[in-house]
Amino acid sequence: MSSITPVLEARNLVVNYKNHRAIDGLNLSVPAGTVYALLGGNGAGKTSTISTFLGFNKPTSGNVYIDGESPDENPAGVRAKLAYLPENVALYDYMSGLENLTFFCALAGIQVTRQQAYEQLLNTGLQADAHDRRVSTYSKGMRQKVGLAIASAKHAKVMLLDEPTSGLDPSAANDFAKQIRAAADSGLAILMATHDLFNAKQVADRIGIMKAGRLVEEFDAHTVAHDELEQKYLAHARGLQ
Amino acid sequence: MILSIVRKEMLSVLRDGRLLLLACSVFAVLTGFFLASANEQQQIQQEKQRVGQTAKEQWDSQGVKNPHAAAHFGIYVFKPDSALASIDPGLRQYTGQALWLEPHKRNRVRFSPAADQGLASRFGQLTAGFVLYALLPLLIIGLAFNAVTQEREQGTLRMLHSLGVSGTKLLLGKFTGLLFVFVVVLMPAMLVAIIILYQNFALTGDDLLRLLALNSTFLVYYAIFAALAMAASAWLKSSRQALFILLAFWLASVLVAPRLGATTAEIILPIPTATTFWNAIKQDIQQGLASDGDHDARAALFKAQTLKDYGVTSVEELPVGFTALNRNFNDRYSSRVHALHFDNLSELCQRQSRLIHIASLLGPTIAMRSISMTLSGMDLAHQRHFEDAAENYRHYFIDLTDAWDGERSHGSGHNAQGHDTDWHSVKAFNYVSPLLGFALHTAWLDLLVLLGWLMAALILLLLSAKRLKP
Repeated sequence: MSSITPVLEARNLVVNYKNHRAIDGLNLSVPAGTVYALLGGNGAGKTSTISTFLGFNKPTSGNVYIDGESPDENPAGVRAKLAYLPENVALYDYMSGLENLTFFCALAGIQVTRQQAYEQLLNTGLQADAHDRRVSTYSKGMRQKVGLAIASAKHAKVMLLDEPTSGLDPSAANDFAKQIRAAADSGLAILMATHDLFNAKQVADRIGIMKAGRLVEEFDAHTVAHDELEQKYLAHARGLQ
Repeated sequence: MILSIVRKEMLSVLRDGRLLLLACSVFAVLTGFFLASANEQQQIQQEKQRVGQTAKEQWDSQGVKNPHAAAHFGIYVFKPDSALASIDPGLRQYTGQALWLEPHKRNRVRFSPAADQGLASRFGQLTAGFVLYALLPLLIIGLAFNAVTQEREQGTLRMLHSLGVSGTKLLLGKFTGLLFVFVVVLMPAMLVAIIILYQNFALTGDDLLRLLALNSTFLVYYAIFAALAMAASAWLKSSRQALFILLAFWLASVLVAPRLGATTAEIILPIPTATTFWNAIKQDIQQGLASDGDHDARAALFKAQTLKDYGVTSVEELPVGFTALNRNFNDRYSSRVHALHFDNLSELCQRQSRLIHIASLLGPTIAMRSISMTLSGMDLAHQRHFEDAAENYRHYFIDLTDAWDGERSHGSGHNAQGHDTDWHSVKAFNYVSPLLGFALHTAWLDLLVLLGWLMAALILLLLSAKRLKP
């Protein structure tokens, strides 16, 4: 299922914001077909890591690579290979889910027919009667599904998720986790920043805990017990480790 | 990609609900102004035609009288305003409606009272033109001030960046979409305006070309505001900041710059008062230009030369009327002096107009306003063209009546007579307005300023695209 070659990689990554060090020597690799969950409190550096992979932050030193390419050197080429899903999927409220999907796909250089867009949305679990409704009437979970459909339509190699289940009800979070797992099983490398331990354990193959910009601990998600993970996480969050 | 962004921007405004409201408001305001202006313009034209016809009939039926006395009856001529004056009446309010042509003196339609009026009064009448160059940029600002800041505030900018959309493509797409939407909003009112013009006036090919040129320059003008609004929205962090800066720019361009430029020009290049102007002409006629000698010396010289030409020793022996010859000689000299002073005044006005462009650094409105007046044929240059033609006509009928006077009298006699057939034979003043080429030549500096602003706005747009961060 998983490949050894990392599709997503950070090497000795340091990112400074003016006088503040947001990421401090991060080394991370995510092979194809796997989900890597980054846990950590607010300000631990999770979102900064995602932003650096997206090319929004310039590394102070070290570098990040997506399928062997640096976003700094080839931003267009790298962005073509990745899909991004933020905590709140930002869509255009005055457009329907179908129109949003078609528009974002067109920007990514993918022409989808109405039928294809319709099927993509159905595959993410968005009910057919919602497709032509304006997004302003959507719940957060429905927006996430449109976001997933965009990512899926893009045929990306990498998916970057920033707090994707934050604010979702348990049922929606569970549906979402299944979708993410299915995406990874289809060969995507997924990096997910989250506070949600349960979600991380449920979806991820590997889990890393970040603190003050550093990756302080890593686990195999399939072998680590939930209690152990919770204790470690809380200990780091409270500064006991 | 840009096309997708253009389509999305149009959809954004269409579904916003603002568009319908704006389109209806623009339609109502512009159509109202067009209708009122066209009606006023038609009334003025009809009145000019009626008065002109009456004046000509009165001229033609003066009965038996001395030709010079007939010339003193005078002739009224009227500038036939272009149909486009319905859109921009320009300086009509300040240039007057009629020009009185009479012997001995070139009258002023424009310049004498203007010296007593502020130069700033040339700007800011509430007309369809005012709506087009002053109010519609506000509409663009209203549509565009949050075009990018809103994307940033709502997080869609980050989504767009993650898809590899470059800032340049995004802004160019938004800019094109905004312009297109704006044209759609403006289109119904412009179509109604064309129908109003077509129904009320006999449009010539030149009118249509001028209308096309006017529309094109207004499009450039709106593109400047759209590009600047988009750049501000991309450059500044919040919608509020962008709105504040753009409103300040609008105020500077539309309200402050014209008055500042006019005041500066008045201080640096003051126009003489009407009294000073006429006194200077009177003095030059009396004292003579350069080494011409004063009036008495010139008169003595002319008399001596005339007697010599006819081989006689006294005025009484002349086979032609000396009074008419002498008058014609004096009138020619007077015309020379008048032309000199009118040319100087016109040159001064042109230099003032050019100087006003210093204030174009604050915004493109001065240039657009000037282009609008020029293309509508309602600026100083078109007025001057008309006045020059009227002056040539004045020379024509004064020379004609003086010739009749000279031919039909002898020596120092005043007994020459003319009849209705003579008065009737005087050709009517038939003014031919200059073509578009004249207007474009006149407006070259304004066009240059407008293009300069367009370049600057587009450069600013591209620079803001480069520094656009999600």
